[in-house]
Amino acid sequence: MSIMDAQRLKNVASETAREVFDTMLSMPVELVDDVPEGFFNGDKIVGSVSFTGEAMGCSRICVNGDFAREMTCAMLGMEPEEIEGDEEVYDVIGEVSNMIGGGVKSHLCDMGFPCELSIPNITSGGNFKIETREWSWHERCCFRYLDYIAMVEIFIKPK
Amino acid sequence: MALKVLTVDDSKTIRMVVKRAFKGFDCELHEAENGVEGLSLASKVKPDLIVLDITMPVMNGIEMLEKLKAEPSLKDIPVIMLTAESGKDNVMKIVKMGVNDYMVKPFKGDQLIERVEKIVKLSPKSADAAGAGSAGKYFALDQDVELLNLPEKVGRPLIVELESALAAKTREMVGAGIKKLVVNMEKCSQTNMSLIKLIVLVAQNCQKAGVAFRLAGQQSLGEELKGFQETSAIPFDASIEAAKAALA
Repeated sequence: MSIMDAQRLKNVASETAREVFDTMLSMPVELVDDVPEGFFNGDKIVGSVSFTGEAMGCSRICVNGDFAREMTCAMLGMEPEEIEGDEEVYDVIGEVSNMIGGGVKSHLCDMGFPCELSIPNITSGGNFKIETREWSWHERCCFRYLDYIAMVEIFIKPK
Repeated sequence: MALKVLTVDDSKTIRMVVKRAFKGFDCELHEAENGVEGLSLASKVKPDLIVLDITMPVMNGIEMLEKLKAEPSLKDIPVIMLTAESGKDNVMKIVKMGVNDYMVKPFKGDQLIERVEKIVKLSPKSADAAGAGSAGKYFALDQDVELLNLPEKVGRPLIVELESALAAKTREMVGAGIKKLVVNMEKCSQTNMSLIKLIVLVAQNCQKAGVAFRLAGQQSLGEELKGFQETSAIPFDASIEAAKAALA
């Protein structure tokens, strides 16, 4: 994978994420340079999907619990007090990660790296660290909506 | 008779988005979580349309579609596939499978309805069928102007309620020769994101249908709305009468 391909994928990930927030959540997000200090403290929810095939890797979105609930309300058209439990929140974050991952996967296939997409996986809690190693390409895009931050990361390794 | 729609998706979120899209229409929605459940329900209810996701556990959408097409009693049911993947190979694969249409996620409810209307006829819910709990209670005709009377609190549930109703209402208005709408916000005391989104929704629907509209409410609310980029250019009047006069 060339640097140009990697740059294209970064743009795809960023544009797909922006489109998902805008279309499905009616949340116009703004691209920011990086996550603010303290972002990794406190409750987090991570939604991820994996690619397997000529390109291996994963795409994930990380948001804090409050933003995840806000996203759930926006997607399902409800008020925060109407959320019945974590399952609804996990389902929404899973679906958002699936849509972002689907956009990246489509471009990988079009670039000559056919691969399959997994179903979404959710990790949540207040004290965990996800380490993804030995990838040949890693990109991070961060978005702001009001006071909330979403971090989208892509890890790719050609087979 | 209500149109029977079967939505097959492992994500409750997407099933809810699909249900919401059909809310303003005379439809009976059925839900299944995977291909196995979908096939079973399709045999039982004989839907008029299936909205089918591709990536699902147990049995995916492609396998379900193959089995559906192999079953004489089900093979003619129109299918719209949902996919998160817009790649050329994926699109070609879907088209070759004989689906009627496909939608790439993310999508808006009205985009889905536009596709559906090319395949089956959708009828807006009648006022009687919709009952007192429907969005119909917010609308009132005042001579040649339609009033959209907003309650004191505008939240997401109201947006959901009005989302599909607005499209149907503006079409109905134009059909009846009514091309003016006033959003009555006299009861609204403060702005919030939901109110802004609702105004944007009204603006989009009115623009699409060719309906002229104005906002009416307390002057202080008008001042607040001027401060938001989305609503700053929308004409605001201090009373319904003033808004009606401006539209005349």
